Amino acid sequence: MKRYGEHRFPGKLFVVEGIDGSGKSTQLLLLHQWLQAEGYGVVFSEWNSSPLVRDTTKRGKKKQSLTPSTFSLIHATDFADRMEHNILPLLKAGAVVLCDRYIYTAFARDVVRGMDRQWVRELYSFAVRPTAAFFFRVPLDVAMKRILDGRMGVKYYEAGMDLGLSEDPEESFRIFQGRILDEYEKMVPEFDLTTVDATLPIEGQQTYMRQIVKAKLAQAKRLRVAP
Amino acid sequence: MRETYAAPLPGMNLADLTGKLIVIEGTDGVGRSTQIRLLRPWLEQQGRAVLDTAIKRSELAGKGIQQAKEGHTLGRITLSLFYATDFADRLEHEIVPALRAGFVVLTDRYIYSLMARAVVRGADPRWIRNAYGFALKPDAIFYLRIGVDDLVPRVVFSRGFDYWESGMDIHPSEDMYDSFRKYQTGLLEEFDNLAKEYNFDIIDASADARTVFEHLRAGVARVLSGEPREPLFSVAATPLDSAEAGAKKVLEMPLVKVAAASDEPAAPQALASGAEGDANR
Repeated sequence: MKRYGEHRFPGKLFVVEGIDGSGKSTQLLLLHQWLQAEGYGVVFSEWNSSPLVRDTTKRGKKKQSLTPSTFSLIHATDFADRMEHNILPLLKAGAVVLCDRYIYTAFARDVVRGMDRQWVRELYSFAVRPTAAFFFRVPLDVAMKRILDGRMGVKYYEAGMDLGLSEDPEESFRIFQGRILDEYEKMVPEFDLTTVDATLPIEGQQTYMRQIVKAKLAQAKRLRVAP
Repeated sequence: MRETYAAPLPGMNLADLTGKLIVIEGTDGVGRSTQIRLLRPWLEQQGRAVLDTAIKRSELAGKGIQQAKEGHTLGRITLSLFYATDFADRLEHEIVPALRAGFVVLTDRYIYSLMARAVVRGADPRWIRNAYGFALKPDAIFYLRIGVDDLVPRVVFSRGFDYWESGMDIHPSEDMYDSFRKYQTGLLEEFDNLAKEYNFDIIDASADARTVFEHLRAGVARVLSGEPREPLFSVAATPLDSAEAGAKKVLEMPLVKVAAASDEPAAPQALASGAEGDANR
C-alpha cells in the first residue's frame, strides 16, 4: 500500500478546492476546455460519483441517519473506489486528471464535524498527492451571496444541519462554511495548496491557473486522444 | 470507565456505558455463530439482557456491502473502508445504546477480523489500526482458535468453499481448495499476531461444540463477575500447522491467554509494531 506523497506516475493530477460559491467548478471547467484544445488526454473525475457506494450514501442522507463518523467513512469509501478504479489507472496511463474537490474537502468537513484531525489524514493516506491543488479563497459573505442568488435553498448536510448549529438552514450554513473556511486556511501551508484570489475576475483567475498548470506539464508526455 | 483505542467519536460519552462488551472472534467456519446461539439463552436465563450483533448487519451499509461483494468489483482499500462504515454505524446505533442500557453485547467478530482480512490483502497495518481507532475496547475477546487442517473438513462437510473465504479476490491459487488453505493460513497467522497485541483469550476450537461452549461459558462468567484473568499461559510459540500438538496443549487449560507485556491492549504499541513490520512501504 503506497502512501500520500510517494507516487511517480506518468499522469498529472490537478484538483480544485474551496467552499461552495468560490467559483472553483467554473474554473476547472475552463481549464478542462483549454487542456482538451491543447491536445492533452484529460479526464474529469467528480466527487461522490462512485455507483457502488452511491446507494448507501443516498440511504444515509435520506434518512438523515449519518453521524460524523459514518459520514466521514462512507465518503472515504466512495473516494477509495474512485481512487482504485478511476484516478490511479488514469494516472498510470499518463492522463491529465482533474478533480473537483479532493481529500482536503474531507479533511475540512470531517474535522468541523468533530472527527480527529490526525485520524482523518491517516484514513486518506492511500490518496495520490496532486501535481497541484488550487484553493479558491473567497470571503464568506461573497460565497453566501453567490449561492443564495443562484438556488432555492441549501441542503441538510451541506448546511451542516446535523451539527445542530442553528435551526435556520441559512444561518447554519453560514456558521458551518465559516468553520470549513478556517480549516482550509490551516491546510494551505500544511499541504502546500496554491491559493487563488476568487474575488478577481474569472478570466484573471483562469490565466493564473493555466500558467501554473502549463509549467507542471512542461515535461509531461502528451497522451494524445483520437480526434 | 470504558476506553477507546485512539480518539473517541465526537459526542460519545464513555462514562455511562455500563453494559459488557464481549467479542467472539475466529476465522470463517470455526463455529462462532453456533457458540453465540448457545450463549444467548444461557445469559438470558440468568436475567441478563443480551444484544447479539455481527458484521455486515448495519442498516446503513450492510446491504451495500452484500451487493458490492456479489459483483466482486470492490478494490481492497474500498472494501476495508466499507466495512469500517458498517462497523461505525453498528457501534453508534446498536452497540453503544445497548451498553448504555446495561446490556451484555455479544458481537460475532469485531474490528480484529476486519484488520486481519485487510492486512492479508496487503493493507498497511498502521493504516487499518488507525481507521478503527475509535472502537471501544471490549471487556473480553474470546478467540476460537483452530488450525487449517481442522478447519478444512468442517467447511467441506457443511457449506463448501466460499469465494471470499477462499480469498479468491486475491488469487492465491488456481483451485479453490489450495486457495482456501493459503488464504486461511495467512489469516490465522494474522490472528495470532492480533492475539498477542490485543490480549485475546484463546479457546481451542478444534474440540466439539459442547466442550468449546463450556470453556467459553466459564470465560464469560468470569468477565461478568468481574474476576481477574487466569494466570499467564502462552501458546504464542505454537505454530498453526502443527495444530495437533498445539491443540492438546491448549485443551489442558480451561482458559488460556497469550503472553503480553502488560494487561493493556494499547493502541500505541499496535502503531509501533505496524510501522516496523511494513518494510515494503
